[in-house]
Amino acid sequence: MIHLQRVTKRFGSAAEALSNVSLRVDPGAMAFITGPSGAGKSTLLRLIAGLERPTRGRIRVNGHDLDRLSNRAIPGFRRSIGLVFQDHRLLFDRPVFDNVALPLEILAYRRPEMRKRVRAALDKVGLLHKETVNPRTLSAGEQQRVGIARAIVHRPVLLLADEPTGNLDPALSREILQLFDDFNRVGMTALIASHDLGLVERMGKPILHLEDGRIEARAAGAPSA
Amino acid sequence: MKSARRLQDVVPAWLEAHRDAARRSLQRRLQAPVLSLISIAVLGFILALPAYLWVLLDNARALSAHVDHDPRIALYLDEVEAGAVADLERHLETDARVERWTWIDADEALATYRDGLRDPGLLDWLDDNPLPDVVDVVPATADPETVAALREALAASAPGATVVSDDEWVRQLNSLHQLGLRILAVVGGLLGLGALLILALATASELRERREEIAISRISGATHGFLRRPSLYGGLITGLGGGIFAGILLLIGIGLSRAPLEQAAAAFDLEFGLALPGGAHLLTLLLAGLLLGWLGARLGSGHALRDAP
Repeated sequence: MIHLQRVTKRFGSAAEALSNVSLRVDPGAMAFITGPSGAGKSTLLRLIAGLERPTRGRIRVNGHDLDRLSNRAIPGFRRSIGLVFQDHRLLFDRPVFDNVALPLEILAYRRPEMRKRVRAALDKVGLLHKETVNPRTLSAGEQQRVGIARAIVHRPVLLLADEPTGNLDPALSREILQLFDDFNRVGMTALIASHDLGLVERMGKPILHLEDGRIEARAAGAPSA
Repeated sequence: MKSARRLQDVVPAWLEAHRDAARRSLQRRLQAPVLSLISIAVLGFILALPAYLWVLLDNARALSAHVDHDPRIALYLDEVEAGAVADLERHLETDARVERWTWIDADEALATYRDGLRDPGLLDWLDDNPLPDVVDVVPATADPETVAALREALAASAPGATVVSDDEWVRQLNSLHQLGLRILAVVGGLLGLGALLILALATASELRERREEIAISRISGATHGFLRRPSLYGGLITGLGGGIFAGILLLIGIGLSRAPLEQAAAAFDLEFGLALPGGAHLLTLLLAGLLLGWLGARLGSGHALRDAP
């Protein structure tokens, strides 16, 4: 599903954000990226999502060679991915329902089907009863779950999450990671960045450790580099 | 994903997406009514000025039609031989450029002239009739070049005749009208360009307000077309409003100019009523507004979306 070969990313003349990173995540797998902030976790996810282009190296995701993907083909590629952010990035000018429906609007779903899918996604994250409220009125954990519902509503083949538990207490964090595990069980490939090594280790999934833009070590069963 | 969706849903889904974009665009405008009204007013003012000039020009042309301006060609036949007169008559009957013609006999002309005099006895001291026979020709068209060609042809078929045409002032009037149209085009073009830039700026700033939504939509795979759609509908809404407002301004402007223009015309002994702008004028204004609104939004959104993350 994800295959990076000797990928380097440099922003301007700054030091390399990622140096010679190679990794492979198989379809249907679930893996974690850990490391301190500034280690390059977000950059790695942004490269995989096609939000940045590598300075060097090859990235292959879901059958697409990202370095050869034309600008016109990028929207189509992104529709096969779900992205979750630490800061949720919800739109506060519209209710929860419309936030979750956004990817389906982009895919031009018709109203009845859209309603069905949005409600299914909200139900999965336990927020069906909040569909009409403004996300501003929700707690941090609830906002994050709305962000997750938006990321999975169009049933992407790949789910990328950047510090999805960053602002949450341990109990909520476990709940969120459990949600990702549930999605993975139904076939969604998932790659999750987190600095919380203790939390991640309890999930029993492959872990990739990033330090200063390099892959430092691998826990047992980690994705092959 | 896409494969789960049926092909027959594509068109209705597309229509729904457009309806949603239009609705959202309208809602956004209703939420900030003052800003939207300012855009509409600016476009209205910009459209109203050239439209006002246009209506005046149209009226001026109607005025010149009002003053009998059919060009005429007069042939004075004083030194023409009888045989040539027959040739001339044949020519007048067959030339398609001739609408109609009248033979004014010299004696008839003198009699008419005598009737018009306060003291008809004045002419009695003349030994003979000094007036020539005259042929008054009305060309089929007012086109100056055709009239000039006809004039040449008539002069050739009646050697010795003095041929006088009054197409010169038609030419002058036409060139004045052409000049007016040219000025209208320049003024209209410059103002239109200005309106385009203002609308593009308004669209770009609206997109800046939407930048978080645009960023999220981009990440979710939105295309340029999808992101631009609400702006294009916004441009059409502004354009429609601007066109309607310009139409109202035009009606008011013409209404206010009516009395002074008619007084001025009366001072020149002209009977002249300023016609209100017709359906064609108002429809053109509306279409110009829609076109400018759409183009401005396209220009502004193209620029803003290219720069967006």
